[in-house]
Amino acid sequence: MGELAVSATADDELVSMGLGSCVGVALVDRDGAIAGLAHVMLPTANAAYSAPAKFADRAVPALLASTERLGARRERMVAVLAGGAQMFGGNARTAGVAGLDLGARNEAAVRTALAEAGIPVRAAATGGDRGRTVRVRVGEARVSVKEAGGVEVSLWHPYIAADDLVEIS
Amino acid sequence: MNVHYDEQQLDALRELASIGSGTAATALAQMLGRPVELAVPRALALPLADALDAVGEPDAMIASVVMPVGGDAEIVVLLLFSYPGAASLCELLGVEPRSELGDSALGEIGNILGASAVGALAQMTGLALEPQPPHVVYDMLGAVVASVLSATAGELDLALVLDAELDVEGAACGLSFLLLPTAGGVAELLGRLDLDPVPPTQK
Repeated sequence: MGELAVSATADDELVSMGLGSCVGVALVDRDGAIAGLAHVMLPTANAAYSAPAKFADRAVPALLASTERLGARRERMVAVLAGGAQMFGGNARTAGVAGLDLGARNEAAVRTALAEAGIPVRAAATGGDRGRTVRVRVGEARVSVKEAGGVEVSLWHPYIAADDLVEIS
Repeated sequence: MNVHYDEQQLDALRELASIGSGTAATALAQMLGRPVELAVPRALALPLADALDAVGEPDAMIASVVMPVGGDAEIVVLLLFSYPGAASLCELLGVEPRSELGDSALGEIGNILGASAVGALAQMTGLALEPQPPHVVYDMLGAVVASVLSATAGELDLALVLDAELDVEGAACGLSFLLLPTAGGVAELLGRLDLDPVPPTQK
């Protein structure tokens, strides 16, 4: 939660378990077997403190810089998103505690930050009201997602046909 | 943003957790007509990433009741049940688990436990606290807890978790009872207990 991991080791698997309103942002170098995954909790940071991966607007540049340090190339990078669910129904926001409906705002902030960085979102399993676990298999550059109570499905891999792009929401 | 709670403050919060969850345990015992055992309540101030691990396995499927509390202090009351635990609780109440009635019974348990705990906190602190309708959610533990912590911890890197285990005697159903105050909520609670930082020697 609020963390970031990158790897260029083929056997590695990066995992974010139990994403609810949080968004898992996977950046994958199509050719390089280099990938990163950030667990974003909130849309924007108000100040320069705390873990960068927690905030969408800072997580994306931080994740990009970390993968580039491992040799990833920006023009080969694609993004895959999972999470951003509305776990507690639509009325939770007005009911006492603000921020129980962050899912959609987190996703929008992540997409904005990726657009600013010029990285295309090639697949997404976002929205809805179910939690998700996202896995990135670094060697295969494959991203998969499993919804609560569901089975693991492949979201993206380098050999996917363009018209097979998955958009689950 | 860095916040820090000292031992004295954590003791006071532990006391609040203990009174809140004790009141909830009594309410549950009355509802079920069975003794309910309360395991040692905790007050944990943890980095966000560790807070989730302290509560349980992030991808475990659980039943949960989420009850936001507004008013003078923002708190989220969270009840976590294992699937079998939720099912046997429904059976004790004579309703079908995972049915509309079963969900409504779980929500009602959340309502009664949450409202009684929050009522006890309000009485101790003099704060006006307003429990809101509960939501029943079956999902991954991490998805539920992290979504609540995103709302309560917000920009802070520290999460305050007040929790206790409630065990129903003679039945295989326990539940975790959590109070998750926002940072502002914690400040309100501590302020009412005169625990703004004052050196212990002057007390």
